Amino acid sequence: MTLSKRSLISAAMAGCLGMSLATPAVWAADVTLNMAVPDWPPTRIMKKLFDEQYKAKSGNNVKLEVDFIPWPDYYTRLNASLTSGEQKYNMAVSDSQWLGAFIEGGYYRKLNDLIDADPELKATLDGMHQAPLQAYGTYPYKSDNIYGFPQMPDILITYARTDVLCHADEQAAFQAKYGTKLPCSPEELDGMDWDMFGKIGEFFQRKKGDMLAGKAADDDFYGIAYQAGKGYDFSSMQVNGFTWQHGAGIWDETGIPNAQAEGVVNSPLAVKALDHYLSLLKYMPPVVKTGSMDIFKTDELFREGKLALNIEWIGFAESAINPETSKVAGKIAFAAMPGLKKADGKIDRTSNIGGQPFVIMTWTDDAKIKEAVDFVKWWLSSDIQHQFAAAGGQSAIKSVYNDPKYTTYRPWNRTWAAGLEWQQDVWHVPQFFELLVQQQEQFDLAVTGKQDAKATLDAIAKFQQQLLEDAGLIE
Amino acid sequence: MKTTDTPSSSGNALFTPSWSNWLGALIVGVVATVISALVLPAITTLWIAGAASALVAVTAVVNAWGRYIGGLLIAPAIAVLVVMNIFPLLWSLGLSFYNYRADRQTLRFIGFRHYERLINDPVVWDRLTTTATLVVLTVLVQMIFGFLLALLFAKQFPLRRYLLILVLTPMMLSYVAVGAFFRYYYDPTFGLVSQVANLFTDEPYVLISSTGGAIAAIVIADAWMWAPFVMLLVLAGLVSVPKYLYEAAAVDRVPAWRRFQSITFPYVKGLLMLALLFRTIEAFKLFDIVFILTDGGQSTETIALYVYRQAIQFNKTSYSASLSYVLLFTVIVLTNLYLYLANRRAKEG
Repeated sequence: MTLSKRSLISAAMAGCLGMSLATPAVWAADVTLNMAVPDWPPTRIMKKLFDEQYKAKSGNNVKLEVDFIPWPDYYTRLNASLTSGEQKYNMAVSDSQWLGAFIEGGYYRKLNDLIDADPELKATLDGMHQAPLQAYGTYPYKSDNIYGFPQMPDILITYARTDVLCHADEQAAFQAKYGTKLPCSPEELDGMDWDMFGKIGEFFQRKKGDMLAGKAADDDFYGIAYQAGKGYDFSSMQVNGFTWQHGAGIWDETGIPNAQAEGVVNSPLAVKALDHYLSLLKYMPPVVKTGSMDIFKTDELFREGKLALNIEWIGFAESAINPETSKVAGKIAFAAMPGLKKADGKIDRTSNIGGQPFVIMTWTDDAKIKEAVDFVKWWLSSDIQHQFAAAGGQSAIKSVYNDPKYTTYRPWNRTWAAGLEWQQDVWHVPQFFELLVQQQEQFDLAVTGKQDAKATLDAIAKFQQQLLEDAGLIE
Repeated sequence: MKTTDTPSSSGNALFTPSWSNWLGALIVGVVATVISALVLPAITTLWIAGAASALVAVTAVVNAWGRYIGGLLIAPAIAVLVVMNIFPLLWSLGLSFYNYRADRQTLRFIGFRHYERLINDPVVWDRLTTTATLVVLTVLVQMIFGFLLALLFAKQFPLRRYLLILVLTPMMLSYVAVGAFFRYYYDPTFGLVSQVANLFTDEPYVLISSTGGAIAAIVIADAWMWAPFVMLLVLAGLVSVPKYLYEAAAVDRVPAWRRFQSITFPYVKGLLMLALLFRTIEAFKLFDIVFILTDGGQSTETIALYVYRQAIQFNKTSYSASLSYVLLFTVIVLTNLYLYLANRRAKEG
């Protein structure tokens, strides 16, 4: 049998057509998720893991376009983008306090329907610690309405210089002066209360040339630091911890409309707490007098070797142990944040939670929402959460952080599980930024010595009462 | 297609479809926009309004073609001015009479209530007082140092050209760079000022630990940046002084101060006044350096920083618009007062 050339071509084309019809067609669409994130290690790690490992379940080519925005400008930039109507972002890593403002503005999408429709996602959220889930996800705070998934949960912990604290000369001198041991190991530092923190602050007031850990100090050296800056929330986050530990409170948004500001925010216990916070500032580096000792400055001072102890968010720890960015890498221990020793001898470590959730914007179309949810599920999967923790992040998922491996990833992970139990959050109402800015201004006046704790809290309470009454949140 | 019709010449011409019938296009555009605003979504209305504007512009150009050349030549500049300046200005003026927030899309007319509120707000007066203090101090320092620098650079000396470039560099830098630089410069632990002071006092020097210190820090940073601008203007005046005047004065043995008073100053006075005007207006808007150096702490929050907080952080768009208009009004009044006084003195002179 002989076949003509035309017959051969026809047969080949028919064969190809038959094969293509027999095989189900898979069209891989290009999907880009645009996300605004603060620029710091936890989001950089996320992007790296995504680029290296993420494969969408849908088979689509999903790209994650991330805008890394410096922390100090992050709220302003995201707020400007959302309110301008440019609809640039499908997702964001948002601070939890912003939920109310951006939900009421119609920007953040409610997620309950997506969670209810996805048993796998629901199970993941059920397996999380309640503190970060409520802080990052719920609006009104602690309600059943979910708007966010944890991206990077965070808490305040103690960064400590072991080469200084553990030095035999310093140990002996401290013992001689205070009649007690200078905490040195992570376990000893875990037992530190604010009183001991203050003693260490007083003890390490060294001038350039003074002896420090067996040799002459090459610059002035200080014992302690915590955030006391005017910008953003760079004193409120620390003051709130003192307030709660002393048994006082901030305005309680879960008690709307009956919860009052006046009488609560400026209660005698709250004044005592603020006085306690202020009393330790005199041991800190002189920049505290300028009102600009924020979390970035304390982090810089610690990494530059000017501090024995620093209270800082875990999110900064990765750069503290990296020799490329830290002069004290290899000489650091991490421990729980100090707390207030109560009459029964127990230490109250109640603190303001840090960290951020993922949120999805209301204008994101269904196809992108599906990809966004798949991405969040991937992020919250056990394997990726372990990898994130191993690279310096944290996980809010109980099965992940309770895994014995977890504490081996990074030296600060040992503080995580216990620390989570002490976390509370600040307000989530739309007026939060006005509340925060006025409070920061007043705290700044106290930090820089312009007014006392009572006058400060009276001014804050009066302002909050008026603002919240005008907004209908206090009756 | 007709190109030279004048639609206003008769009543019928108004409704004649023609590329030169700009009045007809305007009426159609306005009607279409109003109808779409009533029945269509806002975004569609926006596009219809844009298309109507483009149609009116095209018909106006066709109508003017060959007849109003001058008008056509300046039309692009006028259009840019209207779109980029005048329209937003009027829009924000309108907004100041409403209760509008950028994060909510509700609009409620409240008349002059924002203006009433801000006039009675002690915080606004406090911020205006701070601004006025900074304006007076920073402009004064800039004028003095700018003038002295100009006197220095008016003379010839070795490496003058290179030093001049160095001195002019600060005003070419961004505010953020200058702010960040001075923030480190003043830092009590890492900063140069403190390190030098430490050599003599054995204590770190904390400049921004009081209101006076913080104001000094801002004034120094701003003057460092803008004194060269004053210098540049004054220098232009100094080099224009005819040399023979100085020669004649030398022959007459006129003392140096009298030479300055009678010859130098009259030549640079006009430019000095111009520098004063420019710098005063700019100083009223002082924001960047204050934002970076103190974030308004130590009682240094200027009115511009206060407006920023209201507009960008609190999303109080209408209130911040009314604040901006008060600021604009203040600057206009001061500028006109200044020009009036300057003109009167010039006439007297």
